[in-house]
Amino acid sequence: MDYITQGFKEAIKLLISLDKEVFKIVSLSILVSTSATVFASLISIPLGVYFGIKRFKGKRMFSRITYTMMSVPSVVVGLVVAIILSRRGPFGQFDLLYTKKAMIIAQTLLVMPLVFGLTYGLAKSRGDIIERVAFTLGANKFHTVTLIIRELKIDILVNIATAFSRAISEVGAVMIVGGNIKGYTRVITTTISMMNSMGDYPMAIALGLVLILISFVIHSIIYSYSQED
Amino acid sequence: MEITIENLERYYGDRRVLYIEKMEIEKGKITAITGPNGCGKTTLLNIIAGLDREFSGVIKYDGKYLNRETVDKMTIVFQKPYLFRRTVFENIEYPLRIRGINKVNRKPLVVDLAKGLEIENLMGKKAHLLSGGESQKVALARALVFKPELLLLDEPTSNIDPDAINTLEREILKFNKETECTVLIVTHNMEQAKRLGNRIIELSYN
Repeated sequence: MDYITQGFKEAIKLLISLDKEVFKIVSLSILVSTSATVFASLISIPLGVYFGIKRFKGKRMFSRITYTMMSVPSVVVGLVVAIILSRRGPFGQFDLLYTKKAMIIAQTLLVMPLVFGLTYGLAKSRGDIIERVAFTLGANKFHTVTLIIRELKIDILVNIATAFSRAISEVGAVMIVGGNIKGYTRVITTTISMMNSMGDYPMAIALGLVLILISFVIHSIIYSYSQED
Repeated sequence: MEITIENLERYYGDRRVLYIEKMEIEKGKITAITGPNGCGKTTLLNIIAGLDREFSGVIKYDGKYLNRETVDKMTIVFQKPYLFRRTVFENIEYPLRIRGINKVNRKPLVVDLAKGLEIENLMGKKAHLLSGGESQKVALARALVFKPELLLLDEPTSNIDPDAINTLEREILKFNKETECTVLIVTHNMEQAKRLGNRIIELSYN
C-alpha cells in the first residue's frame, strides 16, 4: 500500500512544483483534443441536425449505422489513420505520421461520429417541433439548422464536452499515430500507459489527477451555463 | 390569398381522417372551421400549411400549387405554441430577421404589434418562461409581424383567460381589416366562430 500513498504524495509535489514535463504533456493533450473536438463539432453538428430532421428512405438503417459508429474503437481509428498517413499510404507524401497533426486528425475522426450521432439523436427527438415552427415562419434549411443548434445549444454543448472527454481520455489512436515521442507527441494518456508499464507511478497519478480535473472543470462550466440559461 | 381544395383525402393507416370534396377559402376573409374532436380540423390546417404532405387531392393557393413563395407568405399559430429560448423581442422579430430586414426597421414593427397585444412589458423576458396566455400573444405577434397573406390559427385561444382571448380576437380582426389577410381559424367555440368568422364551415367525420 505504501507505494500508492507515496505515489500520490510525489504526484502532488509534481503538480505543485509545476513540473515542466507535466506541463508540456498536459498542454499538448489539451491542444490536440481541443482542436479535434472543434474540427469534429464544426463538421458534425450541422450535419447531425440536418440529417436528424430530414425525412428520407432508410433512415432507420442510417440511425443504426450512425449509433454503431459512435462506439468505434480508438485503436481501429488509429490504425486506419496510420495506414493512410504511412509512407506507403495515400497521404504518405505529407509526412504526417508521428506528428501532432496526425494525432489531431485521428482524434477528429474518432469523435466525429460521436458528435454526429449525439446531435443526430437530439435533432431527431427534439428538432421536429422547432423545424415545424421555423418552416411556418418562412425559414429555409440553413435558417432551420442554425435555429435548432441555437435552441438545443445546452444539450449540444454537453455533447461537445462528452466528445472532448472521449478525445482527451483515449489512448489507442494517439499512441498509434503519435508514437508517444517525448517532448513532441507525448500526451497524458500515452504517458500514463507508459509510466504504468515502467512502474513509475507518481507521474502517472499526477497526470491522472490532471485528467480528472480537466473533465471536472469543463463539465462544471457547462453545468453553470445551463443553470444560467 | 385564396385557397381552393378538391377531393382532399388523408389517411392514417387504413383510417380516413379527412375528406373534403370541395372547399374554397375566400381571399381577405376570416373563415372559421368548427366540428367535433377528431374530424380532421387540425389535419386540414397542417395540410394547408404544408406541414403534412401525405395526402391525396388538390390544394391551390391563388391558383398555384404550394411552392416556396407561397410558404413565405403564410404562417400558422399552433394550439400550444413553441417559443424560442430567447427574449420575447427576439421571438417576434425572428421572421423579419430571416427575411433580411435590418434591425432599425425591425424594431418599430415589433414594438407596434407588442403594444396592440399588450405585451410590450414582456419584451426583455425569456419567452419560454411565459404563461399560456402570454405565450399565445407572443406566438400571434410573431406570426403577424411579417404581414402574411394567409394566417392559419389552430385553436389559438384554448386554455387562456378571457382577457387574453379578447385581446387576441381584437388583434386578429384588426389585422384582417388592415391587411386583408386571409384567415382560417379552427375553433371548438361556436361563439368565437360567430364573433370572428365571415363564414363558418362545419367539418364532420370523414
